[in-house]
Amino acid sequence: MTTLTGTGGATTKRGAATKWRGGLAEVVILLGLVAVFSILNPTHFPTLTNLATILNTASIPVILGVGASAVVLTGRIDLSVEGVMGAAGMTFVLLSANSRETADIGWLAWPAALAVGAALGALTGAIHVLAKVPSFIVSLGIWYVGLGIAAVLFGYEMIPFLTNESAVAWPTATLAGIPNSFLLALCVAALGVLIERMTRLGRAAYAIGNNEAVARMTGIPVSTFVVILFAFAGACSGLAGVVGSLALGAGAANVGVGMLFLTLAAIVIGGTPLGGGRGGTLRTVTGVLILSTLYNGLILAGVDPSIQSGVSGLVLVAAVVAAGWSQRERLRVFK
Amino acid sequence: MIQTGIVAPDASRVKAAPILRLDAISKTFGTVAAVKSLSLSISRHEVVGLIGENGAGKSTLLKMLTGVHLPDQGRMELNGRAVAFRGPLDATAQGVGIVHQEQSLFTNLSVAENIVMGAVRAGSQAVRGGIYRWSTVRREASEVLARIGSDIPPDTPVSDLSFAERQMVEIARTIHLACQSAAAQGGAPLVILDEPTSVLEKAETEVLEAEIARLREIGSVIFVSHRLEEVLRICDRIVVMRHGELVADRPVAGVTEADLYRLMIGKDRHARIRDVAPAVTSRPVLSASGLGRPGHFRDVDLDLHAGRITAVVGTFGAGREALVRSLFGVEGHDRGRMILDGKPVTDWTPRKAIAAGLAYLPAERGVESAVGGLSAARNLTLVPHEAPWWLSPARRKALAGAWFERLDIRPRLPELPLERFSGGNQQKVVLAKWLARNPRVLLLDHPLRGLDPGAGAAVNACIRAACAEGAAVLLLADTLEEALDLGHEIVVMRDGGISARFDTATDDPTTLDLLEKMV
Repeated sequence: MTTLTGTGGATTKRGAATKWRGGLAEVVILLGLVAVFSILNPTHFPTLTNLATILNTASIPVILGVGASAVVLTGRIDLSVEGVMGAAGMTFVLLSANSRETADIGWLAWPAALAVGAALGALTGAIHVLAKVPSFIVSLGIWYVGLGIAAVLFGYEMIPFLTNESAVAWPTATLAGIPNSFLLALCVAALGVLIERMTRLGRAAYAIGNNEAVARMTGIPVSTFVVILFAFAGACSGLAGVVGSLALGAGAANVGVGMLFLTLAAIVIGGTPLGGGRGGTLRTVTGVLILSTLYNGLILAGVDPSIQSGVSGLVLVAAVVAAGWSQRERLRVFK
Repeated sequence: MIQTGIVAPDASRVKAAPILRLDAISKTFGTVAAVKSLSLSISRHEVVGLIGENGAGKSTLLKMLTGVHLPDQGRMELNGRAVAFRGPLDATAQGVGIVHQEQSLFTNLSVAENIVMGAVRAGSQAVRGGIYRWSTVRREASEVLARIGSDIPPDTPVSDLSFAERQMVEIARTIHLACQSAAAQGGAPLVILDEPTSVLEKAETEVLEAEIARLREIGSVIFVSHRLEEVLRICDRIVVMRHGELVADRPVAGVTEADLYRLMIGKDRHARIRDVAPAVTSRPVLSASGLGRPGHFRDVDLDLHAGRITAVVGTFGAGREALVRSLFGVEGHDRGRMILDGKPVTDWTPRKAIAAGLAYLPAERGVESAVGGLSAARNLTLVPHEAPWWLSPARRKALAGAWFERLDIRPRLPELPLERFSGGNQQKVVLAKWLARNPRVLLLDHPLRGLDPGAGAAVNACIRAACAEGAAVLLLADTLEEALDLGHEIVVMRDGGISARFDTATDDPTTLDLLEKMV
């Protein structure tokens, strides 16, 4: 080992450098955004009310992002979030006190909606591993299956409004200045972190994302774990559907519209590569906060809402370029 | 110390029941009999060397031992019980461990996790009820690492380790798993080391040898290597395979390298003939002056002359690989300049290098030079030839056929996907790809890595022939002997700089001379 001591020192330095880059850059960007918008709009942006607004808009993408990043860690992708949100949200509304008076099973509507989400996620995962087809195309299909389920449940009657006023007000009500919806999102994120760091399932997700063939040879039940992770992501989408329905105060198939872009963009901007194996929940939470702050700041700065989507697209592309900048060797294969 | 659950060996009882017994096992692929009715018995406390040319059936035998293939016929016994492995995982669970030539670590995880990950199924305490106990993970890993005498911190991410360090982790992991599984089964472990030393430096090879000696105390080892002197030094017994059969099985005492070579190849190794070094022509084809890249190499002055082989030697991390990659334009250089035919070059890329007549044989054949899924003929014509835009199928066929003859690439089926050829033949195809263009400069990064002596000799002959036809060759050799054998000039690198130069014709350096300048 004597010949290696020289490189050993460099190794530690390199390791420390990577650790430093692990998430701090994204946090710096977030703080930078907060600083810039605070200077641009000192009266409206840096207020507690606005903080609650930002956190409230961030809550659904955070819940979605926790599940979606668990799937992305394995190198797979779940595009079905919007459809699953629709199906689960509609299930929740129709099983709660609503203007159509379908059924009211009280708090059990929550686990019922989560179960619908988990089932759709498990279906995506099962088709993906059994038929050995790419997850992006399976989940793309399940997206529309979810929308279809929501549409069937919606039927041709009038819109089902939630009649329990206190339930509808719950997400935006604040506890110590933080909206309940975001507190719920934080709980989900904490669960995500626990799974990632402390469980065999989570560690296996990193291993699968790094080298799936080796993972199989190491005895990791890759297929089973992938299905479980998709079911987890589905359950997260289901929960997001519930929160979204509460915020709307009504059932709607398109409760999740626009959420897929936001979730995937947050994952990438947070620094989890779509190839898998690196990153995770906390990075995605940072990514969501960056995007929510950006949206909010742009609105308060008086930027025309119609150019916002263009701006967020540019931010996504810039983030991907920045993330890959250090690895752009001449012969690296990218496709 | 790791609890292996194995009590002190009881020599008399152990001798009676071998760990592994193969009784006339065979495996046939299509019409090719890869292993023909092979019988072999390995006792506990035995280190058996397995040697044979590429294609002799060694890998098929190993694949049967590790559950990748089931034998077509015959009987396999492990620790006295007949076994038919349901798959590689089953073999692992029964206490058979293998360290492959290719590494199989999760580069994004820490050393500790990599070591423990596989052991979870074999009753490791580090993960209980699906929940990680990180302190136990670290403790188990430190114990395993300490056992093989490694000082790698268990929390280091594998991506930060050097190639050789990764190999040590790989070995540690396999040994740990095999011992645990065997203990759970109440038997003794069998560890197969498939050319573990081809990427290790001398000091690490010594560590490995010490570990093999320790493994001998509890189980058995099958050691596969192309370095015959190493096999003779490490093993108790040597088994030689040729054409799918076991042609020799004898204790090492009294056996010489020449004997083994004869058994493997079926003929004598021809004596080394150093061809007469051609005179240095007035102008080098390619030269570097003061070339450097921070952290890799610095102040490199190098002249490559037509018809001469320049061998660069140095330890792992001396900067040889980075230098070659810069010369070919794969990676840039920050200092100094490169001169091609007297003209300095700028913005050097592989494309420009190829156009200028350079050829580069990368060390990582599977990743950078061989396209496994494409046919050998297509691999052979991947680099544009005289007809830059269009190569007719007939022309390609003729070209491939000619090179298959010339380099004796077997089987003579140019349309077969390259991945179906053995390592040596794949390397010949890759070499032919470049030789077909009559390169002016050949940059060879470990051309013999993973090849058996027979294939190595054939590849060396190709290199010599290309050189005789006027190519300037830069060679990064696997061994010092290889460098001395082929090189007209030897350049020694140490810590990124050139520490010595020898002209083999006038200086006649020995390996000791080179080693002195390397460390």
